[in-house]
Formats: sequence, structure tokens, C-alpha cells
Amino acid sequence: MLIFSRKRDEAIVIGDGIEIRVLRTGRDGVKLGVTAPAAIAVHRREIYDLIRAENAVAARSPGELRHLMARLRAAPRRAMPADVPPA
Amino acid sequence: MTPRAPQLSEFPDDGGAGVPAPRPDDVVTFPDGLPGFESCRRFVLIVSDDMAPFGRIQAIDAPRPAFLTIDPALALKRYRRMLSPADRLRLEATDDDALLWLAIVALSPDGTASVNLRAPLVINPRTMTGFQVMPHQSLYPVRHPLSL
Repeated sequence: MLIFSRKRDEAIVIGDGIEIRVLRTGRDGVKLGVTAPAAIAVHRREIYDLIRAENAVAARSPGELRHLMARLRAAPRRAMPADVPPA
Repeated sequence: MTPRAPQLSEFPDDGGAGVPAPRPDDVVTFPDGLPGFESCRRFVLIVSDDMAPFGRIQAIDAPRPAFLTIDPALALKRYRRMLSPADRLRLEATDDDALLWLAIVALSPDGTASVNLRAPLVINPRTMTGFQVMPHQSLYPVRHPLSL
């Protein structure tokens, strides 16, 4: 890992067109400004990890998913929106 | 130009062993893959009337994960589709493009189901590209309960 010392308003540049600038520092944290091309997705690490974990839970092999769908198809009731009370 | 509907033809059923060969036109490209499956760039969508309201999205690239999906508006009636200008740009979405929204359904071993409304898949049928959209702020949970 590369480690940089930066003061407020100082920045680092990554590759072509990505800049991370220190906007504010404080006791509770650091405020960073990220400039990146539109094609580059920028996420908080904890959000990305949350979605990654949930994708891993939801992923099935093609064969497993076929079986699951067959089971759903055989279920007596259709899936209903969870916020709509049954008629 | 009228946006072409995503091709929803049945994916070749190879029993999980062989290599499927969808037509190039059927393939939706996710340039970043999906979180946790970053190497999976090419997917096909599969829907059939008898499986409505569910569909599936299947990766062509190893490890070939497949996901059960549902229209987020069917999982939560008042679901609001919100796309940041940056995400709209990444999808090359113009106002005319009718985007396809799919939420991933997770089934737990106890038989309950939940829907990931926090990070829906959004596909632009005109360009056949998609992203799993992860807004910086969201009203919605990763596990919204779905009653089956």
C-alpha cells in the first residue's frame, strides 16, 4: 500500500483523470473530494462490501435456479408485493 | 430509433455442464461486472410467462452465477426508481430510453425470500448495457421481505 501525507487542499492523482483531494480534516474524520471520469464508479467501501455479500447470498448455479423456479411455479400462491395486504 | 426490447429468449439449457452459446444480440454487457462477480461481464435475461413475475439473469462468464429477479415495483408498490446523473451517464441513457429495472431476489434456506432494493440492476435496452446501481444514499434496504 502506498501511504501519503496530505494537508487540507492537497490531492493525489491516480492514473488518467482520477483525483482525490482532502477537503477538510477533523477529529471525527476526513472529508475527501473524488473527481473521476463518468465511466468510473466510486463507492464507499462498506456499501460495496454490503452489496457484494448480498450478491453472494443470492447467486445460484443455473441448475439450482431452475429447480428453485420450478418450486416457485408449483407454489399455490403467486408472489405478492410484501406491502400489499392479501385481498 | 425505437429502443429494441432486451432479448428474453430461453437460455440454452445445458444442464450446467456445457458452454451456452447465446446469440450476440441477446447478451447484456455489465462493464463492471457485479460486486463479488467482477469477472462476469456478459449476461442473458430469461423470462417466461409461466414464471412471471420472476425472471432470471444468468452470467455467461465463469463462475456463471444466476440470479432470480423481480421488478422492484412489484416487490414494493411505492418503489421509486432513482438514478443519479452520473449513473444515467454511465448507462448512456437518454430521456427516451425505457430502462429495465430488475431487483435481485435472495432465497434463504428457511424458505423466506428477500429483494435487494438497495442495489437494483438497471439495463439500457438500446445499448444492451447494465450496471448494478449503488446510490450513495438510498431509502431502501438490501433485504426487503418478499412474501411468497
